[in-house]
Formats: sequence, C-alpha cells, structure tokens
Amino acid sequence: MSARGVSPGELTSEAARPDFGAAAWRAPRSGHGPKSGEAAGANQTAREPMGELELVVAERAGRSVATHQYHRGALRVLRPHYLDGSGQVCYVLVNPGGAYLGADLYVIDVEVADGAKLLLATQSATKIYRTPGSFAEQRMRLRLGEGAQLELAPDQVIAYREASYRQNTIVTVRPSSSLIMAEIVTPGWSPDGAAFRYEELRLRTEIRVESEASIGEAGGLLALDNVLIRPPLGDVTGMAFMEGFSHLGSLMVVDPRVDQALADELHEITAGYGAHTGISLTAAVLGTAGLVLRSLSNSTEELKRVLGAATALLRKRWYGQDPLDLRKY
Amino acid sequence: MTQYQLALQQLTDSALPTGAFAHSLGFETYIDRGLVRDEASFGVWLAAFISQQLTYSDALAIRFLYEGATVAGLDSLLTAQLLPRQLREASTKMGGRLLEIGAEIFPSAELAEYRELVGSGRAAGHQPVAFAVVARSLGVPLPEALAAYLFAAVTSLTQNAVRAIPLGQNAGQRLLRNAAADVASAVERVSHLTPDDFGAVSPGLEISQTRHERQRARMFMS
Repeated sequence: MSARGVSPGELTSEAARPDFGAAAWRAPRSGHGPKSGEAAGANQTAREPMGELELVVAERAGRSVATHQYHRGALRVLRPHYLDGSGQVCYVLVNPGGAYLGADLYVIDVEVADGAKLLLATQSATKIYRTPGSFAEQRMRLRLGEGAQLELAPDQVIAYREASYRQNTIVTVRPSSSLIMAEIVTPGWSPDGAAFRYEELRLRTEIRVESEASIGEAGGLLALDNVLIRPPLGDVTGMAFMEGFSHLGSLMVVDPRVDQALADELHEITAGYGAHTGISLTAAVLGTAGLVLRSLSNSTEELKRVLGAATALLRKRWYGQDPLDLRKY
Repeated sequence: MTQYQLALQQLTDSALPTGAFAHSLGFETYIDRGLVRDEASFGVWLAAFISQQLTYSDALAIRFLYEGATVAGLDSLLTAQLLPRQLREASTKMGGRLLEIGAEIFPSAELAEYRELVGSGRAAGHQPVAFAVVARSLGVPLPEALAAYLFAAVTSLTQNAVRAIPLGQNAGQRLLRNAAADVASAVERVSHLTPDDFGAVSPGLEISQTRHERQRARMFMS
C-alpha cells in the first residue's frame, strides 16, 4: 500500500493511552505520529493550526448573542443571522481556503451558555483533497450549558482521491441541554468513476454528560461514535460494511425528552425514504439520553432529506421552530 | 498441560450457559432481507463481524483490560460505544451470566470487585470485560485469551446460524474451520490498534443491529 495510508503495523509504536482520546484534544500531537517517514519531524508534533475558531454564545434578553469570538487563519464565521423569532442565533462557518489539505489542522471551540440557542452551519461542503504525507484533521470541542440548544447542520464532508481525514469531536452537555448534530460523509468524484478512492476517513465523536456535581469525573460518557472507513485495506463496499452504498449520514440527538416513542416515530418518518436507515437509543446518563440515526445511500440529497425530516420533527416539537431552510440565506 | 488450559476450555465452551443461543448480534436482519441465506453468504457476514465488531470492540476491550485499563472505565466505554440498544443488552445479559458463573467456579478479588460495581449500579457488566477479568485471573496470556474468546463467539453465532438459516451441521463445521484464519488475523491486528480505534464498527453492521429492534418475526433477542 502507499505511504499515505495508515497500516496497522505503522501504529505499533503508539502505546495504549488510558485517556481514550478525550485528553488528547488539542494536546501536542505526540501520540499521532505522521505516517510516512519523510514527513516525520518536530514541526509535526506541535503543528500550528491552519485555522482556529472560538465562539461563545449566551442568552441576552431573549436573544442569543456571541459574547466571545476569535478566529485565526483559514476559519471564520459570517455575520450572525436570526432565521426566525425563536432567539436562536445562526452562525455560518467559512473556510476561505475552500478545502482541507495534507497536514492541515483546524481547531473549533464552541460554547453555548445556559439557556442560549445556536445553529451552526457551513457555507459549503468540507472538501478533503489529496493529503500526501499526513492526514488533514479537524478537532472540535462543543460545550452546552443547562437548557442550552445546539443544532449542528454542516454541509457534507467530501473525501477525494488519496484523501486522509480525521475528525475528532468532544461534546459536553448538561442534563437539560439539547443537541442535534447532523453529519454526511461522501466520496468525491475520481477520474475513474470509482467511489471509494480516498485513503481513510476517521470520524470520532465523544459525548459526555456533566452535572454541577460531576464535573471533572471520568463517568458520564453517553456515547462514543467512531466511524472508520479505509478503502485500501479491504472491501468496504460490501455486506456488513457500506452495504453497497457510498454515502453515510448520521444524526446524533441528546435531550432529556429522547425516549423510545420518539425513536419509533422517527423510524416511521425515515422508513419512507430510499436510504437504508437504522435508529437506536443510548443508555440514559444523569437523566438525559441520546438517539443515534445512521443512514446509507448513494445520494447526498437523499441523506439531506432523511436527516432533514428527522430534524424538522424535533425542531417543531421541542423548539416550536419551522423546518430549517438555509438556502435562502 | 498448562494450568489454565481446561479452565479456559470450560470458560469458552458453547455449553457455558451465558445465553449466547438467543443472540444473532445482527445477522438475523440479513436473513430477513434475504442477504444471508446459505453457507457462503453467512461466511461473508461472519468474516465481516470478526474483522469489525469482534476486533474493534470486544477484542480491543479485552486487550485494554490486560494492559491496565480500569474495569469501571472500560465498562462505561462499552456502554457508550455499543450504540445499538439490543447489542448493548446482549453484552450485559451474557456478561451478567458470566459474572455469576465466574463467581462460582473461578472466584477472584477482581471478579468480586466487578460484581460489586455491577450490583451497586456503577457498572453494566459487559461480556468482554467479565471474560477478560476471569481469563487474566486464571493467568491466561492475552493472545490465547483473545483467540479463545473470539472463537467462542464465532462458534455460538455459527450454531445459531445453523438453526436459523438453516444449514447442515457439516456446513457449520466448515464455516468454523474457515473462520479460524479470520480469528487468527484479528488477534494479530488487535495488538496494533490504538485507543482511537476503539469502537470503529462498520455503519452497515450497526444499522442492521438497530433495525433488528423493529423486525417482525424473529428468533433472536438481538
């Protein structure tokens, strides 16, 4: 296999860490060595982020506003919008560079304070091009306060030929927080028309629940969602992997109102679409629970419809808001 | 003969009453869709299950315990990672039985501690962790413990497939023999994985496991 891929043998030097990734967020990259010999070097172990974004949103007299905002490099947000009268503020994330390239690191840190409401979208798809030498990476930390709402509605991630991408997301919620997190990953067009020409996609999301009393404790892990697709290492297209599909959609919902009846209802709604979809519930932690929806399809639009239909029900029922339509803004 | 050999055989014997006969861990969904219907198609599913679920979740959890991860930490990690509800329940149902049986025939301080965590609601009691605690207390080296655990899981699933598809008994034995190579390569791969790899189970398997919750006619609890 090529030097850009991660073969298991090349990871042997990485000793098992007891932290399982959580503490590694934003830490120096000592544990994640570059994968080809020539790219190894000190600049890799503490690489400068290509783009950084910090955003804190708080509730002020019925409207959510940014109380802290910082960006550096190739990441910024557009001027905020209010799409309806709910007080929910909408920020659109922009990557002026247009794409993630090899060894690029993007760091996003977002906090939604008690009672605040944030919708975070993107201006366009996240495109991962060839990443010779080292993978492109996004590290995102999301923190939700009591009664805070965060809706994450990014455009799809597109991994092109010979792309290697890691996305590490750490979410911390309170028992009364409400989180709706959508994600679509797709293979990019390649000259030979084959779907799976990227090297590796690694999307890891960890969701923890903290109460005032439990802060800093190890417990409270609600969900660990780890997607790893490495086409060069074997047949990822077939039965029990991508089931003959090329596009993957996920919706992760955390809210104290999540229950089996909601899962059943969402199943009924999503069953009407052509995508191959499954829904289940996480175990409850500190009085809140998670719902995970996974969907396979050959079409980004179809996955958007499935995730959109599920999200529309939640927005209407929980937030009293209309279905999300970002196209008009 | 090593000291632990017969103990390990008893621990991984398909006659050990953990209730494994009641779980397809998702393959019944493929039977329902007509995708798993004979020896060859079940073999494809089984190979994927070994290289995905059993490698990235069960086997990696066992390795982490051997390398010093805490029982409570691993237990909560598995509860969070096993996103399909029925899969989580299968793991804790079989794990609970293993803890009970283990306490009677292979008692140890570590096992008593795990049972205490489960009894007081501080842990769920997952099968691979319970197995790893017992195997380690018996002095079974990690590679042998992994091979025995994986092959026991494969044996139960194959026996269940023989009943459910149905397949002939000889077909079941051929499947097991063929799966031996996949188990061996899984044991080898597990030693090279990192904590970031934990739980990297394929989307297709997870979807099938969640869809089983809503399947109308079913023989299995998962």
